[in-house]
Amino acid sequence: MMSLAARSGAFSPYMQASAFAVAGPLKALVPGVVLKGEKILLDPKKQFLCRESLNGQSPKTGPAVSVSINGCAGVRLAHTDVRIPDFSDYRREDVLNPDKSSHESGESRRSFSYLVTGASVVVGVYAAKTVVSQFVSSMSASADVLALSKIEIKLGDIPEGKNMTFKWRGKPLFVRHRTEKEISTEAAVNIAELRDPQHDKDRVLNPSWVIVLGVCTHLGCVPIANAGDYGGYYCPCHGSHYDASGRIRKGPAPLNLEVPFYEFPDDDTVVVG
Amino acid sequence: MKGIRGISKLSRRFYAAARTGQSLTQPLAGLKLSPGSAHFYQDVHVTRLPSGLVIASLENYSPASKIGVFVKAGSRYETSENQGVTHLLRLASSLTTKGASAFKICRGVEAVGGNLSVTSSRENMIYTVDCLRDDIDTVMEYLINITTAQEFRPWEVSDLTPRVKMDKAQAAQSPQIAVIEALHQAAYKNALCNSLYCPDHMVDNVQSEHLHQFVQNNFTSARMALVGLGIDHAVLKQVGEQFLNIRSGGGATGAGAQYRGGEIRLAGLSSLVHSAVVSQSAAAGTSEALAFSVLQQVLGAGPHVKRGSNTSSQLIQGVAKATTDPFDVSAFNASYSDSGLFGVYTISQAAAAGDVIAAALAQVKAVADGGVTAADLTRAKAQLKGQFLMSLETSGGLLEAMGTQALTEGSYSSPEEVIKKIDNVSLTDIANAAGNFVSGKKTMASSGNLIKTPFVDEI
Repeated sequence: MMSLAARSGAFSPYMQASAFAVAGPLKALVPGVVLKGEKILLDPKKQFLCRESLNGQSPKTGPAVSVSINGCAGVRLAHTDVRIPDFSDYRREDVLNPDKSSHESGESRRSFSYLVTGASVVVGVYAAKTVVSQFVSSMSASADVLALSKIEIKLGDIPEGKNMTFKWRGKPLFVRHRTEKEISTEAAVNIAELRDPQHDKDRVLNPSWVIVLGVCTHLGCVPIANAGDYGGYYCPCHGSHYDASGRIRKGPAPLNLEVPFYEFPDDDTVVVG
Repeated sequence: MKGIRGISKLSRRFYAAARTGQSLTQPLAGLKLSPGSAHFYQDVHVTRLPSGLVIASLENYSPASKIGVFVKAGSRYETSENQGVTHLLRLASSLTTKGASAFKICRGVEAVGGNLSVTSSRENMIYTVDCLRDDIDTVMEYLINITTAQEFRPWEVSDLTPRVKMDKAQAAQSPQIAVIEALHQAAYKNALCNSLYCPDHMVDNVQSEHLHQFVQNNFTSARMALVGLGIDHAVLKQVGEQFLNIRSGGGATGAGAQYRGGEIRLAGLSSLVHSAVVSQSAAAGTSEALAFSVLQQVLGAGPHVKRGSNTSSQLIQGVAKATTDPFDVSAFNASYSDSGLFGVYTISQAAAAGDVIAAALAQVKAVADGGVTAADLTRAKAQLKGQFLMSLETSGGLLEAMGTQALTEGSYSSPEEVIKKIDNVSLTDIANAAGNFVSGKKTMASSGNLIKTPFVDEI
């Protein structure tokens, strides 16, 4: 604040009158300044109307001006020139008019927003699930590995009564084209007599074709086809006899020959695995 | 033993009570001090270093200390190329320095609850810092940085332009400032005619280089004084020797002020006319200057009580006979190192301006013709002494008194010596001083509605 009250003694000739930013009991002559953007607005002057208000207003000596980092500066910043931008381009029809209450349209606006949000969330969740499962399933076995795990066999090459051996997944695979006699014999076997009871129709999809793994369930040798006492297979290692359905009948093996998964895409082909 | 000592102390107390003229700041007469004891009375110590730096301090054991660096770098030392540089320098006191950034200075001073300010007059620039005694080291560091290691970074200096404009707007709001600045501009051809505020044409044009150059030329050790209140002299001396001995030499000598006498009229719409009529008086420190100070009190300088009709002011009583409208009048006295201004300052209604000025000047002429009584003189001397002594009561006033004396004379005269000098002023001195004013070449500055205000050659 400016002040012209004489502060110093007459003998001190240099420092005098006004102190710009000194907080203290000096009489402030100039009221505060208001800064509006670049413009400086000054408050209207104090009215000096009578002799008493004029008393002491004359300066007695030359001025000195002082500036302080923590004195009062008497400056206010006016923020009445801050302009809020116009958002009409982004408003909905219902709320363009500033004089109309927005309460009535509130429900419709709200339900629209919630509907759109809900639908987006559902689609988003589904998309996320798809992406995640694609990434996770990429860690499962690749196509070449899967390709090696299946074998396609042309059934027309195997005459009736003949057993053919294929290498499948590192193990021998027996594909036997059974005759009518063998089929009926196997179907008539009493299951109660079997060590590993299994009916023939549970072991084959098409009774004329029996597909089993050629690995003896005793200790893993390969049985010989069309050998043994039961018209099936005979394991030479320890003398296990299997019948034409691959079931164990005599010998040390505990279980029937394993039946892999297979299907007939058409009458002439079988895909095992 | 204790009883005996107590009795001897009792006698000292009675002794002291009997001596009514005993000053409380002087030791008791007849008391022998042991060589090792510290002085238990306070006096101002002044030391002049070989480089010219003057160090003055007073240990008043107050909880708050005040340090000031006084530099002979007022606006009179501005040249025609760098008008307004002192205004920028005043505002640039809080900018980044080599040892501390602007933020560090502000935060550091605020953190200890101190205050850092710079005041500039036409003669001097005064950097003052005050804080509690224990924190003096911290703020001293900032003060030294601000006075000796300024960087005046160009972008920071250009950021000061809005503050310059604000300062000028606030100064323009006060007609007294406008009139006094115009008065000096009209009275002198150089040096003292420079305004304390940056002129309009230089508001954006004072660059960092101007500030650097001004500091180089004027902030030299021989033109500086380091003054402290509430601080040990040895500490201050060490600081002065270590840090303020940076620029030796006298720096650029300012040109002697040449008085010319002129007139400036600032026409405006205000119904109150402010007018100052002055003539050249004496340089500060001379006996004539003291005579002018007493003359100022004889004529009337400001109200001494809060309300009243100023019966002791001859000017006001004289002007009151000339007009019934509200007015104010005071004797104006400004002394600088090689010149001075003395006259009257009037505030009056637009229609009565001429009468008021004429009445005021008639009063001064009456004094010049010997119309002062001894009672008036005694009254004036008492008022002057009172004003002077009361100015020393505040720490700011005391620091200023010590600093200006240290800067101009290199020593400190005690208040008693000053009082004695005031007492030596006689009636003839007063009459001569008033006669100098009446016969000297006048300078005038007026503002407001000047329809009835006389010109300087008409008064």
